[in-house]
Amino acid sequence: MKGSGEIYVVHRLLDEQICDSEGKRVGRVDDIELRGDPPRITALLVGEGLYPRRLPRHLARLARRIGGPELWGGNALRIPWEEVDELAATVKLRKKAEDLGLGMGDDPKRWIVRRLPWN
Amino acid sequence: MKAIFKIALGIIAAIGGFLDIGDLVFDTQAGALFRYDLLWAVVLGTIGIAVYAEMTGRVAAVSGRPVFDVIRMRLGFGMGLVALVASTIVNLLTVAAELGGIAIVLELLFDAPYSMFVFAAAVALVAIVALLPFGGIERFFGYGGLALFVVVATAFHQEPNWGDVAAGFVPSLSSSSLYLYFVVGVFAAALMPYEVHFYSSGAIEEGWTEENLKENRLNAIVGYGIGGILSVALVVVSGYLFHPLGVEPNDLGTVALPMQGAFGETGLLLALGGMLFCVGGAAIDSSFAASYNLAQFLGWEWGRYQGPRKAPRFTASWLVFLLLGIAIAESGINPVEITEYSVVFSVVALPLTYLPVLLIAGDRSFMSGHANGPFATVLGWLYFAIIIVLAVAAIPLLLATNAGGG
Repeated sequence: MKGSGEIYVVHRLLDEQICDSEGKRVGRVDDIELRGDPPRITALLVGEGLYPRRLPRHLARLARRIGGPELWGGNALRIPWEEVDELAATVKLRKKAEDLGLGMGDDPKRWIVRRLPWN
Repeated sequence: MKAIFKIALGIIAAIGGFLDIGDLVFDTQAGALFRYDLLWAVVLGTIGIAVYAEMTGRVAAVSGRPVFDVIRMRLGFGMGLVALVASTIVNLLTVAAELGGIAIVLELLFDAPYSMFVFAAAVALVAIVALLPFGGIERFFGYGGLALFVVVATAFHQEPNWGDVAAGFVPSLSSSSLYLYFVVGVFAAALMPYEVHFYSSGAIEEGWTEENLKENRLNAIVGYGIGGILSVALVVVSGYLFHPLGVEPNDLGTVALPMQGAFGETGLLLALGGMLFCVGGAAIDSSFAASYNLAQFLGWEWGRYQGPRKAPRFTASWLVFLLLGIAIAESGINPVEITEYSVVFSVVALPLTYLPVLLIAGDRSFMSGHANGPFATVLGWLYFAIIIVLAVAAIPLLLATNAGGG
C-alpha cells in the first residue's frame, strides 16, 4: 500500500467508499477484519450481509431475520488488505472490480440488471 | 472571460431555481396572515441555505465527498441509517408535493384532470433528464424560473408602504403559535435539505475541484441571496393584496392572483409559467436527492454523468422514487397539505444532515487547508443552534395550529 503513517481506523477507514483500480465505486467498508496480537488489519469486509453487525443488538436480530445470514462470496465479501493500493478520499484497490468479485450489484450481467429496460 | 460568463450562467440558474412549492405555499400564506411581519424569517432562512450550501459545496469540491458520504463517515452506519431513512421520507414527500404542484399549475393553464397531469409531469421529467446533460437540466429549469421576477415587478407596481415593509425585516416574536408556526415554515421552506443534497452531488457531477471554490461561494451567496429576493417579493405581494381582505390563499391559483392584478393576463401567465419551471426543477432535484442519498450511503456507483448502464441501481432507484412520488400525489391528499408536511418534517430531520457536514467542513484532515475559517465556524454553529430550536418546535407547532389551519 502506498504511503505510510497512522490513520484513525474508525474515523477514516471504516465506512469509507471503496473504488477499484479504474475508479469505479464498488461499495463501502462495512466492517474490518483484525487478526493477531497486537491486532493488525488483515481484510476489509463489504456487503449487505454485514449490516446487522453494525446495528444495535435488537435491531440486529431483526435485520438478520429479514436479510438472511452472511453468505461469504454473496452478500459478504472479503478484500484482503494487500489488495488496497492507496487510502485517499476513497479506498483505492489494486485490481479491477471483477477480479475481486466486487461491484456485482451494478454489474450489467447480473440477472435483475439485465432486465432493466435500457439494457 | 468565458469562465466568468459560465459562472454567471450558473448563478442565474441558481436564482431561478431557488423557489419551490414549499416557498410558494408558506411565503404566500405568511404574507396573507401576517403581512410583512415574517420577512425577517425569510431572510434568516435564505442566509441559512447560503451558509449550508457553501459548506457542502466546499466539502464536495475539496474532498470529493457528497452529503451522504459525509454522513456515513461521520455518523457511522447506525445513526447514518436513521438520517437516511428520515431524509428519504422527507424527500419523497417533497417529490410528491412538487409533482402535485406541477399538476395544479397545468390544471390552471390547460383543461384536463389533475391525476393525468401528475403522471404526465413525471413522464416529461424523465424525458428531460434522459435527453439533457446534467448542467442543461439545471439551466433549463433555472432560466424558466426567472419568469417569477414578475413577482418582484408586482411588488413595485403595488407601491406598498415601504416603511412597513422595512419594519418586517426586524425580527419580532409573538406568543401566537400560528405566528411561530410560520416562522418555522418560512425558514424551513428556504432551507430544504434536498436542495443541499442535490447541490453537493451536483458539484461532483460537474467535476468540481478546489478551482471551483470561488464559483461555489458565488453560487451560494449571490445565487441564493438574489433568489431570496423572490421569496421576499412573494410575501410582500401576498401581504399587500390578501392581508387587508383577510383571505388565506389555500391553492396555487391564488398565489398568482397578485401578478394578474398588476399586469393582467401577461402577469398571470408569467407567474404560472415561472411556478411551473421552479416546481418542475424542484421535482427533479428532490427525486435525484433521494437517489443520491441512497446510493452514496450504500456505496453504489451513482451519478447522471455515469448513465444508466454504469449506475443501474442508482437510476432504477430514481425511477422508483418518482413512482412513489406519483402514488402519493395521486392518493387524493391535497398537494398543498403534502407540502406543509414535507416542509415541517424536513426541518425536524435537518439537524441529522446538517451537523455531519458542519463537522467535516471544519475538519482540517478532510479539508486540506479549506476548512471553516472563524467566520464560517461561528455562522455554521449559530445556524445549527437555530436549526435545533426550530426542529424541536416544529411538530408541536404543527399540532397546535392544525398545520396552519388555526
